[in-house]
Amino acid sequence: MEDYIVRMEHISKSFPGVKALDDVPLDLKSGEVLALLGENGAGKSTLMKILAGIYTRDAGDIFIFGEKKDTWNAKIAKENGIAIIHQELNMCQHLTVAENMFLGREPGKAFLLNRGDMNKEAAKVLDNLHVDISPKALVGSLPVSKQQMVEIAKALSVNAKILIMDEPTSALSSKEIDDLFVIIRQLRAEGCGIIYISHRLEELSHIVDRVSIMRDGRFISSGSFSDYTMDSIISDMVGREIKEKFPHVDCKAGKTILEVRHLNAGRMVRDISFSVREGEIVGIAGLMGAGRTETTRAIFGIDQKESGEIFVDGREVRIRKPSDAIKNGIVLAPEDRKKDGLCTKLPVQHNISLPNLDLISDKAGKVIRRKENTMTEKAIDDFSIKVSDPGVAVQNLSGGNQQKVVVAKWLSRKSRIVIFDEPTRGIDVAAKVEIYNIMNQLKKDGIGVLFVSSEMPEVLGVSDRILVMCDGRITGELSREEATQEKVLTLATQFEKKIETKGEENGTEH
Amino acid sequence: MEQSIEKNKTGIIRRITAINGMGQVLTVTVGLIVLCLVFGIINPTFFSSRNLGNLLRQIAPFILIGIGQSYVLITGNIDLSIGSVIGMSTMLSATMMTKGVNPWLAALITLAACLVMGILNGWLVAGFSMPPFIATLGTMTIGRGIAQIANGNYNTNSIGAAAEGFRNFFYYGKVAGIYTTFWIAVIIFLIFNFYLSKTKTGRHIYAVGSNINAAKLSGVSVTAVTIKVYVISAFCAAIVGFTQCASAGMGAMDAGNSYEMYAVAASVIGGVSTLGGQGILFGTVIGAAIWAVLQNGLQFAGAPVAIRNIAIGIIVIISVLLDIIVRGRKRSN
Ligand SMILES: Nc1ncnc2c1ncn2[C@@H]1O[C@H](COP(=O)(O)OP(=O)(O)OP(=O)(O)O)[C@@H](O)[C@H]1O
Ligand SMILES: [Mg+2]
Repeated sequence: MEDYIVRMEHISKSFPGVKALDDVPLDLKSGEVLALLGENGAGKSTLMKILAGIYTRDAGDIFIFGEKKDTWNAKIAKENGIAIIHQELNMCQHLTVAENMFLGREPGKAFLLNRGDMNKEAAKVLDNLHVDISPKALVGSLPVSKQQMVEIAKALSVNAKILIMDEPTSALSSKEIDDLFVIIRQLRAEGCGIIYISHRLEELSHIVDRVSIMRDGRFISSGSFSDYTMDSIISDMVGREIKEKFPHVDCKAGKTILEVRHLNAGRMVRDISFSVREGEIVGIAGLMGAGRTETTRAIFGIDQKESGEIFVDGREVRIRKPSDAIKNGIVLAPEDRKKDGLCTKLPVQHNISLPNLDLISDKAGKVIRRKENTMTEKAIDDFSIKVSDPGVAVQNLSGGNQQKVVVAKWLSRKSRIVIFDEPTRGIDVAAKVEIYNIMNQLKKDGIGVLFVSSEMPEVLGVSDRILVMCDGRITGELSREEATQEKVLTLATQFEKKIETKGEENGTEH
Repeated sequence: MEQSIEKNKTGIIRRITAINGMGQVLTVTVGLIVLCLVFGIINPTFFSSRNLGNLLRQIAPFILIGIGQSYVLITGNIDLSIGSVIGMSTMLSATMMTKGVNPWLAALITLAACLVMGILNGWLVAGFSMPPFIATLGTMTIGRGIAQIANGNYNTNSIGAAAEGFRNFFYYGKVAGIYTTFWIAVIIFLIFNFYLSKTKTGRHIYAVGSNINAAKLSGVSVTAVTIKVYVISAFCAAIVGFTQCASAGMGAMDAGNSYEMYAVAASVIGGVSTLGGQGILFGTVIGAAIWAVLQNGLQFAGAPVAIRNIAIGIIVIISVLLDIIVRGRKRSN
């Protein structure tokens, strides 16, 4: 018997209307990184929540360090050295970084909180991760990527023996991912067992020792990472082969649909000019915090513009709020699904119809049920959203399926230009290809596509033209033919001299 | 074939139970029936047609203010000015009537004044991102002040014989054997229930309460939605003010005191979440009924006022607690 620190056997779990897990095993040795893989809704997060004591299992056994655990809950799991980084950010926006990290176990004697110690301790952990965040910064003021790093730091600060990471990298940039991998290797060397969930399959080779693959709530296969190829992993995950990971269609570029001239909006959007033509997908690449999201937000009318003009089909449009943009045929699928994309308490159906109510209601403003049902069914079908009923609240969907709802709600109406901000975040390989195919279809239909992504292979593979941003400016433009990873990186790090001097970048402090 | 019918059936049931807060609505409906039975056993005259008629008329104002408050709560806000708007409505209309203004004209002018309070609430909350608790605390005080100043710091005299039609319309008249006050509540419920559950604006209201950012990004005008819900709340309060004026035949400066809290209670008992985005008006109606039945039933059972208050308070807390426990259990499952 090898020294398994975690053994789960015959785990089953049902939710109303779905069998999320059906007789699933899982085991983890100390000093290894296990990749838990599977399509959206396969049951990965559910299995991990059971291990962390957040959900109770319907059936099955859990052994921790060889000991059978009959009563199992979040508190006991913590005491047994299990820490989990959730797929969705779970932080108190109004508290500081340090307060969030030590929530529920604040240092200090009796009732007195020792702020100094807490901040010092937090700074130490953050430093270890090479993240440049002040422990006193308010979490709500940080961008998603930084919040994700805080979440990771929080899990690391408890000195767990068993660490579960549910898609820790989906919101991180490549530099932050590298730092995270260094930490993971360090933890592995110290004898921790790490379960790692990710839909970014290309990153597995850097850290993973073993894989375990699930599909539709069932266990499919597991084994040493070296015994698998990327293709065999994918076919085990989705049950078929995927030939082309980045499908690309050639279209002749036609007339200009969207033109942005000298757009300025705050420090992160400075003198942005570019255009999108019919029959092309324009990618925007750059590091985290380069101002890509801010640019899309300014175009869509969420943030105030200081100056600049926007033309749609050669006609100047004034966009002061999102509804102006929608009226002028511009839609935006935002990057942060929990904060900006979804009303998670509401049913899938109401989320999909929300921006499209004008299309499915009569003159008096009554929503026409039949039209709404048709629209929702089509969206669920087109994006293969895994949901038992359109009336289910979005919060009950798996992370990837929530992301599909964000994209689906914006593609349920005809528009002239679609802006995607990180549309494939947390989406499985097969569904990613579906999204690319949909982008390609839009392009063939003569609709402009603007596509922000931090995943280099994706931007390079899908776009016809790539804009690279750095520090709020467009630093270059590359055609599909000339674009390479190196060239994009060079442009993405062309900081202006004066900003390179430190200090400016800690603008997140409060 | 049979299978698909079977599947359809469970689909409908699931759809109904999937409606946010539906679980709570079903529970409290059962609770209401049990309450009525208990009061009926303690004192059989509880079920006399006379008492039932009175009971329906007592429920009506709670339904009305409950509807208004529910609209506001679903957007994630709160309206503390409801009670003062009732006071305003009673005093303004009564004062004008005692001065010889045509009762219907008086009601119309009063209604307009009350709606202005609603607009002011919505504008402060949405236009200036003022915390709704503070903004409506301010208008609550202003509203009470207006009620007091209307007749120079005195309750009004009798609104007189000219207001007979007004009094019958809002309080003493009967249609099909049931007091008009109840019918008014029923009609307003039907209209606003349709508005909330079947129209574009209704969807916007839930979206704003569920996630204000996502709503904005979906093209929803948060300011317009917020103003609408506060105006609806003020409208309902104004109608309750008329019923009180009609009932007493005069204007009392403290009319509607604390009603904003009764409205919160009716909403919350009926499954409307104070965090926004959740609840249906049918639940509020049941919540309002529970509130009124408790008052009426305890009175019939001979409980003194103090005991009544304590009992009602305990029941509100228990009913909300039950919901939290049930929901909590669902989550940890
Ligand atoms: N709280 C819940 N209530 C109802 N159904 C749920 C709940 N949580 C998960 N499910 C369902 O269980 C199934 C498995 O979900 P899970 O979140 O484990 O998937 P996942 O493998 O983590 O997917 P992803 O890669 O998209 O994150 C899905 O069909 C999901 O809809
Ligand atoms: Mg998941």
